[in-house]
Amino acid sequence: MIPVRCFTCGKVISTAYEEFKRRRDTGEDPKRILDDLGLERYCCRRMLLTHKEIIDDLNPYQ
Amino acid sequence: MEIAFSVLDDQIARFRLDKSSIAFANSLRRAMIGEVPTMAIEDVKIYDNTSALFDEMLAHRIGLIPIKTEEECLIPRDTCSCGGIGCPSCSVLFTLSVEGPGMVTSKDLISQDPRIGPASPDIPVVKLIGGQKVVLEARAIVSRGREHAKWQPTTACGYKNYPVVTVNDRCDACGHCVEECPREILEIRDGRVAVIEGRLESCSLCRLCERACLNTGIGEEAGIIVRSDESRFLFVVEGDGSLPAKNIIRQGLDYIRTQSQGLAAQIYEISGETRDEND
Repeated sequence: MIPVRCFTCGKVISTAYEEFKRRRDTGEDPKRILDDLGLERYCCRRMLLTHKEIIDDLNPYQ
Repeated sequence: MEIAFSVLDDQIARFRLDKSSIAFANSLRRAMIGEVPTMAIEDVKIYDNTSALFDEMLAHRIGLIPIKTEEECLIPRDTCSCGGIGCPSCSVLFTLSVEGPGMVTSKDLISQDPRIGPASPDIPVVKLIGGQKVVLEARAIVSRGREHAKWQPTTACGYKNYPVVTVNDRCDACGHCVEECPREILEIRDGRVAVIEGRLESCSLCRLCERACLNTGIGEEAGIIVRSDESRFLFVVEGDGSLPAKNIIRQGLDYIRTQSQGLAAQIYEISGETRDEND
């Protein structure tokens, strides 16, 4: 799961992840998406850029 | 002391603090980060959790959700009449009960008090597949940022000195500093380097322009000099949604006033002098 807040500054960034993921998968430039989502600082930007979602891999196991 | 806002909306405030000192600017910053009370979830009782996340992880994620608070609901637990046990006047109970498949989000947290709730409805907590279930009860309490970062009302909150850029007679308008400036605040106007109208506040005081000027072989002294004004500060206050930016600033200032009045009262008591009420 995407962290709720940015590790460094504490801004809530998890709300932006769904849209980021959708638009990135359509091949849009991540820079433009992040600018659109209002993530100005590089600490918040790296949160989305470097996130690897593994919840779907974990979910089958209890 | 004077405050002039350049941006003021619900989340972000940018302002200039005039006729002040470094000590005051820093105490205001610290007061806004660490001393403004907000609400955050502190205790979580988990009745059922068959999701892929551990209970601790789930509780941690829920704790970080900013809770929007109305000012009059704010009584810190240690000063409440219940003595810290947790009663409806110092804490709010949330319940969450979701069955998969689907995403559990902050809007699934049902508040006991309709005035208080998550600042954003779309914060994902955990993704569930069919058959998984999360049932829990969470208690939000009022505390301060110095206790834990989840009670900080601010995200980015800081200040810088007001820049003073002076160009002297040694400037020959070679333009090296204009190229060097990372914030692009300089231009050549009337055969001399000058700051672009309205862009002075973007200066980060990096002094790359001074260095670029010296590197041209102008001599010992640069033609452009960047200094900071020690009595003026540029503040940025960004809220996390739990309180409007204006309230954060006001409560930060209130805190400094009550603290300094308390200190003054103590000093008068120790020294035995009578207090002048106009101080």
